[in-house]
Amino acid sequence: MAWLLRRAKGLALFVAAAASAAGPARTQMPITIKVATHYNAKQSAPLLACFSQYEASHPGVRIVHQQVSYRDFLQTTLISRLGGSPVDIYNLYSIWAPQLIGMRALDLPPPDIERFVRSSYKQSTVAAASIGGRLYGIPSAVSVYQLAFNRRLLTAAGVAEPPRTWSELERTAAAITRKNRGGNIVVGGYAYGQSVANVTHVFYAQMYAAGVAPYTPDLRGTNLRSPVAVGILQRQAELFRKGITSNSIQTRDFTGGAVGMTVIANWQKDMLRAAFGPRFEETVGIAPIPTDGPGGTMIYSFFWGVDAASRVKRQAWELLRWLNTARTPGGLSCTGAMLAGMGDLTGNTQDLSAMADRIADPFSRHFLAALNAPGAASQANVWHADEVDRLLKYYIEMAWAGRMSSAAALAEADSEIQAILKEQP
Amino acid sequence: MSTRAVSIGEWLSSRRVAPYLFVAPIIVFGLAFFVGPLLFAAFVSLTDWDGLGHPRWVGLGNYLYLAVTDRFFLKSILNTFYFAFGSVAVGVPAALVTAAIIARSKYQAFWRTVYWLPMVTNIVAIAYIWKFVLADTNGLVNRALGVVGLPEPNWLTSPSISMLSVILVAAWMSLGHNILLFLTGLNNVDQSYYEAAEIDGANAVQLFRHVTIPLLMPTILFVLITSFIAALSSFALMLILTEGGPVRSTTVTGLYLYDMAFTDLRLGRASAAAYVLSAIILTISLVQLRLFRRGGVEAH
Repeated sequence: MAWLLRRAKGLALFVAAAASAAGPARTQMPITIKVATHYNAKQSAPLLACFSQYEASHPGVRIVHQQVSYRDFLQTTLISRLGGSPVDIYNLYSIWAPQLIGMRALDLPPPDIERFVRSSYKQSTVAAASIGGRLYGIPSAVSVYQLAFNRRLLTAAGVAEPPRTWSELERTAAAITRKNRGGNIVVGGYAYGQSVANVTHVFYAQMYAAGVAPYTPDLRGTNLRSPVAVGILQRQAELFRKGITSNSIQTRDFTGGAVGMTVIANWQKDMLRAAFGPRFEETVGIAPIPTDGPGGTMIYSFFWGVDAASRVKRQAWELLRWLNTARTPGGLSCTGAMLAGMGDLTGNTQDLSAMADRIADPFSRHFLAALNAPGAASQANVWHADEVDRLLKYYIEMAWAGRMSSAAALAEADSEIQAILKEQP
Repeated sequence: MSTRAVSIGEWLSSRRVAPYLFVAPIIVFGLAFFVGPLLFAAFVSLTDWDGLGHPRWVGLGNYLYLAVTDRFFLKSILNTFYFAFGSVAVGVPAALVTAAIIARSKYQAFWRTVYWLPMVTNIVAIAYIWKFVLADTNGLVNRALGVVGLPEPNWLTSPSISMLSVILVAAWMSLGHNILLFLTGLNNVDQSYYEAAEIDGANAVQLFRHVTIPLLMPTILFVLITSFIAALSSFALMLILTEGGPVRSTTVTGLYLYDMAFTDLRLGRASAAAYVLSAIILTISLVQLRLFRRGGVEAH
């Protein structure tokens, strides 16, 4: 019997040794890693160049980039899972995470990746890639909202400094606004837009600036009925009621020089620079979100995640670590190079150091300062966040249009949002 | 062996089997693409399903949610009716009058082609062009109104008139199709009726009112019914032209349930909403068909 056990032990050791010897050979097996992002060909060019480098240094690894429109990203990736061909790596907007985790679609990073993230990224971006205290990926782009103002229009209206409070904003905007004979605003003192980013996110940013988070810490309730929230919406609606702003003039008109002030995110730098050309710096100014509160804003982030159903999870995490590590000492990572090209910011501290010269201009400096300020808070990753944000947008617009009082609109929004939040497991 | 083959052949070509064999392809097609999805949607409407995981049985929960909790669903149905009635009320008379004028033209084929052009143009292109034309400050329409000193409405950004703008664009889009149907009807009207009426001293308006319209009634009813049903289920134009806004003033039920299904991944609730919309369309269609039979074709 002892002889038999010794033989079995020997056989087991042989099998283990053979398996470990075959390990490296297995990594040489041809594999394909599919990476889905919402970046277009021009934006993702530095990333695609890195993919080629990685393929050259890792024989047998093929990387396929899939560009998916931002609007359809979640749906497209989920449907590809349903079709049995999931993407291996996603670049995800953090608010999509709860639904994906609810479906068990996201893999947890291996311990070494988690250590890498926690030691190399700013805490606020690590928090954005975490749900329920568990990290689900590697942070990538980070955007923060600030007030953008057209220096020329402010100067023409006799205003030297950007507004610091909402009352100042209202006065400045009123001084800038010009209408045509038909009563339509041709130059808007202040502008919103029609997208969730231009409506709901701006509202959230104002709430954070006023010192009140839109959602409770457990993400199962809202603070939308709070006097602060109601006050913010009331003052927004006042701008419409007084004809200082309207739906005719929108955030996108800022690039055409027809808007005095609006709230934008830093990733629009490239677009604004292209629109204003050599007059960019002398025209576009950035200032904190005007508020009577302690100050602050909202951060929203993207992160790299790996699909739980991927057949190449280990290789996917390896690739992600490689993409997010500086390629040369003191240089940018591949993700950092892509983000820097767009004028975007990152939570990767080494990339931020390497980007120093690129983000030294006043535009980026203001956004970076806002990102590091204590009042900057990550967007809450609430359950069905897209749906919740659209719902809130509708009620905010109802108040703007004067069809509901601010208090009633936010009370209705709160009831409907609570019903959605109650669904979460 | 051959006896058996012959008997199978005979059996297949027998009167009892052959008719079913001939209609089998259409039955299989209908079951696979109409009845099957309908039954599946009925099942899904009784579940909570995101399209990926396992559906969770909720019974009539989705219908209850739409009726009680969802404060916008009823409004979306009202928007749908506003759009359907509006586009028929504007589009059908416009098509009828235009067709009557074209019917008297020597260049009928040319005008038919001109009015048919929007029908062969992609709806996305149409919506984008109208977006520019109806823009508040720099749109062609408002620029023209401004030149003559008229008020410049916020066609697509005012919640009060945005649906009216969508109705006008939809009526313009469907004009060619309806003109073609009316022209076919008009060309089939016996000219002797007109000659007789003219001899009796009828003028152009009287001819149109007392000869053209009564004789064209079956076509008019057909156009009314098909246009109304098509309008009840349309949403693509709103999706591109206004994205349902402002303040959801142009969000019809089709668009609302599209977002529910494909943006929010609430397939159960969207299926329930689709069933409610289908029930409404079915009821209206049955009423219209009854009118079509009694007050329409049979009466004329």
